[in-house]
Amino acid sequence: MDERLAADLVAVLDKRRVRVESLELALYARDASVIEGRAGVVVFPNSTDEVQAVVRVARAHGVPIVPRGSGTGLAGGSVPLDGAVVIVTTHMDRILEIDEEERVAWVQPGVLNLDLSRAVAHLGLHFAPDPSSQQSCTIGGNVANNSGGPHCLAYGVTSAHVLAVEVVLPDGSLTMLGGLDPDPPGYDLRGAFVGSEGTMGIATRIAVRLTPLPPAVRTMLADFPTVEGAAAAVSGIIAAGILPAALEMMDAEITRAVEAYVHAGFPTDAAAVLLVEVDGLPDGVDAATVQIDEVCRDHGARHVRVAADLAERALLWKGRKSAFGAIARIAPNYYLHDAVVPRTRLVEVLTKVYEIAERHSLVMMNVFHAGDGNLHPLIVFDRRVEGVMERVHAAGTEIIEACVAAGGVLSGEHGIGLEKRDFMHLIFSPDDLDAQARLREAFDPNGTCNPQKVLPAGARCGDLQRIPEGAWI
Amino acid sequence: MTFRLELDDDELSSCVSCGLCLPHCPTYRTTGDESASPRGRIAAMRAVQWAGAPADDSFTAFMERCVQCRACETACPSSVPFGRLMEGARAALLHPWWKRLAYRVVGSHRLLVLLSTVAALLQRAGVRLPGLPRLPLRQAPLHASGTDVYLFTGCVMDAWSRSTHAAVQRVLEAAGAGVALPGRGADCCGALSVHAGLSDHARQLAARTMRAFPGDAPILVDAAGCGAALKDYGHLLGTAEAEAFSARVLDVSEWLAARMDRLPAVEPSARFGPSVAVQDPCHLRHVQRAHEHVRTVLRPFADVIELDDEGMCCGAGGAYSVQQPELSTAIRDRKLSAVARSGAKVVASANPGCAFHLAGAGLDVRHPLEIVDEVLRGR
Amino acid sequence: MDLNGDDLSGDGLSGDDPVVAVGGCTQFTPPAGVRQVRAPAGIVAYEPAEMTVRVRAGTVVAELAEALAAHGQMAALDPAVPDAATVGGVLAAGESGLRRLRYGPVRDTLLEARFVSAEGRMVKAGGPVVKNVSGFDLCRLLVGSRGTLGVLAEVVVRLQPRPAVSRWLMGAADPFAVRRRLYRPSSVLWDGEITWVLLEGHPSDVSAEASALGRGFVDAVGPPPRPPHRWSMRPSALPALAASASAGLDGAFVAEVGVGTVHRDRPQPVRPVDPLHERVRALFDPGRRFAAA
Repeated sequence: MDERLAADLVAVLDKRRVRVESLELALYARDASVIEGRAGVVVFPNSTDEVQAVVRVARAHGVPIVPRGSGTGLAGGSVPLDGAVVIVTTHMDRILEIDEEERVAWVQPGVLNLDLSRAVAHLGLHFAPDPSSQQSCTIGGNVANNSGGPHCLAYGVTSAHVLAVEVVLPDGSLTMLGGLDPDPPGYDLRGAFVGSEGTMGIATRIAVRLTPLPPAVRTMLADFPTVEGAAAAVSGIIAAGILPAALEMMDAEITRAVEAYVHAGFPTDAAAVLLVEVDGLPDGVDAATVQIDEVCRDHGARHVRVAADLAERALLWKGRKSAFGAIARIAPNYYLHDAVVPRTRLVEVLTKVYEIAERHSLVMMNVFHAGDGNLHPLIVFDRRVEGVMERVHAAGTEIIEACVAAGGVLSGEHGIGLEKRDFMHLIFSPDDLDAQARLREAFDPNGTCNPQKVLPAGARCGDLQRIPEGAWI
Repeated sequence: MTFRLELDDDELSSCVSCGLCLPHCPTYRTTGDESASPRGRIAAMRAVQWAGAPADDSFTAFMERCVQCRACETACPSSVPFGRLMEGARAALLHPWWKRLAYRVVGSHRLLVLLSTVAALLQRAGVRLPGLPRLPLRQAPLHASGTDVYLFTGCVMDAWSRSTHAAVQRVLEAAGAGVALPGRGADCCGALSVHAGLSDHARQLAARTMRAFPGDAPILVDAAGCGAALKDYGHLLGTAEAEAFSARVLDVSEWLAARMDRLPAVEPSARFGPSVAVQDPCHLRHVQRAHEHVRTVLRPFADVIELDDEGMCCGAGGAYSVQQPELSTAIRDRKLSAVARSGAKVVASANPGCAFHLAGAGLDVRHPLEIVDEVLRGR
Repeated sequence: MDLNGDDLSGDGLSGDDPVVAVGGCTQFTPPAGVRQVRAPAGIVAYEPAEMTVRVRAGTVVAELAEALAAHGQMAALDPAVPDAATVGGVLAAGESGLRRLRYGPVRDTLLEARFVSAEGRMVKAGGPVVKNVSGFDLCRLLVGSRGTLGVLAEVVVRLQPRPAVSRWLMGAADPFAVRRRLYRPSSVLWDGEITWVLLEGHPSDVSAEASALGRGFVDAVGPPPRPPHRWSMRPSALPALAASASAGLDGAFVAEVGVGTVHRDRPQPVRPVDPLHERVRALFDPGRRFAAA
């Protein structure tokens, strides 16, 4: 640890908000993924000014910076490498302004996603992106990852709900991207920043769109005797011209694990369940409910249960959103993928994914945003078993390759981070990656902001990024 | 200064670090520090037990900052036994002599009453004693009225707030139950010692307590922390006898909720005047998971208001408010804001620690059955 | 000169002479004397169950709309002159249509883009699926970039189910109250006196919402004619604009309530941008081949 760096950081913050003690640094070495790095210093700025000051100090010392919210990322995006300065936003957790008429809220990056929705519920509004970690994850993190969630099927992902972002750029200067007017001048740098995984600066104030709560909502749980039937029903629903608010699938193992936690009456003998929600004006919702029921039964659904009330609906969603956390009931570690495939190819890809797991003698389960074609194949394992990591990584690679072969992409909502960085060449040519690297270079010419993430080494000609050693554990 | 950590490897590996516990943890919410979160504490335990990190002062500090509210257990989809891990980690910490002495005092009821009286006298003489509520000088003794149920009297509650026991006893009697009192030896349930990691001491207290409740009558508890501890004797002592004892333990609201028809009905005009915000003691909500019964019991007698903080801890945490005053106060501030937002004038709390802690901030806090008692007596 | 339509090789842009990408030229006049390049046209792949379509950027919007309508779907591309505007042109201009209130800005529509870079290379951005965070979001950067970063050749856009019923109504009412009363109307327009509303969806829902508007509203044939220039204003600035217009200080306008796009009789003054925008442009087009459109 560089003591002069720490001293300079203390000078711009205070001693209590600059952490250098080794055990504490170790707690910031990872996020919710299985990748581990090494933090040099961890700081907790309270304001935009302080973020600027920290960025400038780190820059003067030539030390990279890594922004971090709640650390619920699943791709290693906030994992610090090479003793970076970790800038934690948890102290910047104020909702600054709520404009009911304009349906906009200004928030600091550390505001928790669900806290914002709760704060505006009495106005009949909500913040639509609802990642499964929404109770824990920060809006700053949502912006960095362009987070999704079940209801993004109809409402769109985070980028569709971010109007403006105040950003401390990697050189410490401050800029405003986007605006509250519909077409701010220049390029859509707001859109470029959202999903940049902390590589283009640190968001310090965010203007988000608030969406009216729907007047009618219907949540259905359909249970299927085969995974294929459930997957085919997904395509069937979309083909019928219905765009549900959410369309989620869970396979047998995950359904059982979740039911053990929430006791929501998920059928533990089903091969797969679909959780479908439609919302909007009441008659349209009723019509869609009838149609979805028919499509599900046509594809072999044994039962289609409609949640009777808000409490039942909440319980079903709690089950769905707890799925990853419930994994430890089966094994202590998981490796989660996040590929998206064309929704018409779900059946084919799912079959292949199960087969890959079986070939590697791994336990595999699936819980995912079926309506988007956003698969979350989940390999569960116990890291302490000899040789298991090799099998996990081998199967993971094959799964990604299978998704890409079906015309899919690497990540639908978790991001690339470190985890999928070296798979980028599977879907992008050197020219494609070069274009992305140019965008990053415009924001961060010196490569000091969350370096080594997203783009593989050598994305730009003459790029001398090196592969982080020991990043994988 | 180091020590060995010997936690169960399977339990320690059962956390997948998803972070769903974070917003439910009062110390994480207050500090934003990973080291003050369940996930971070488990990571620190792992670093010490598995990766050879030194169990140094900062490790101790991380562990001691936990209120042990166990809200993380309710939030955890994988049911990581965080309370057990934390108790195990604390058992390994080196405890200074003064802390051990303090727990001895709590375990000896006569000594506790004596010291409390001295403290009460000092308070009357104008001496400020930080961390203590205003203590009573004299308290009327309780008298048994039958053998249907036991009322567990305990340590601090009996020494500082026996009037609550009296109110609870009257309500139980109104429901037609004869109330028995424990024999000698039930001075303290041992909860504070368990939380501090002084498990040997806790086991001594538990064995003594069990002997004070002969027979098989239900043991009703009006202090959520004690109730949780008594219900855990099976695990603490690991004997069939202890299991059987724990099975007899119920929170007093839990017992009453199933017998509400035995309580007299009250006219609307006789209901409790001010609306009541229910504060869920963590050990009732997250450990006993019996907090709904408080509402069942209160609703016929008072207008119940729910707080909007999802049962977040109030920061009392047994001895926590004395050991971590700064954090404890910061956590309490969140609770105070929630109470203020609710507009309630009275707060019902089924745990003495929470009640003292919140009353210390100027709130009017009553045990839920004190409210029921007041209504029934005013009928 | 056209881009090579079949293999999309980007060869059409080899060399280093200045070029300008053109579509239907409905939204700008290309500079004189600069070589014009056009994207190829045609639908490449359309699978209705996917609710996406892969289309060459030179395809005329109306032709695409017709093909989609046959399957009850639509793309949220609403140019003023759909018979001439091309898909690539609408995306490059980034100008949303009147239904933005419901269907969002154009930038949320583009899923994948193949564009020819200033170096004449074919570059892919995004991917063909409806949800994608694999790498940086060049698609959103391209929308509205007016051909200054690359020439769009082929795109995949997100589709929506066509509403069963679309109904324009008009009446003299406070447009802000109207917007508050309705759940997600497709459009609320206001010229300072009259409010136009577009309701879309299930027939009985549309009827119910129309009744909720009250007796002051009658069916309209469509939206009102709009003055030619677009202004981008905060939605909350509209009442002040109306006040100054009615005081005779400002000319006629038609405002998109809740969006902030205002159609006016004179152009919006140029607004300054952060130097960061210029850095982006310089990195994508160091030799300034692409004429600003």
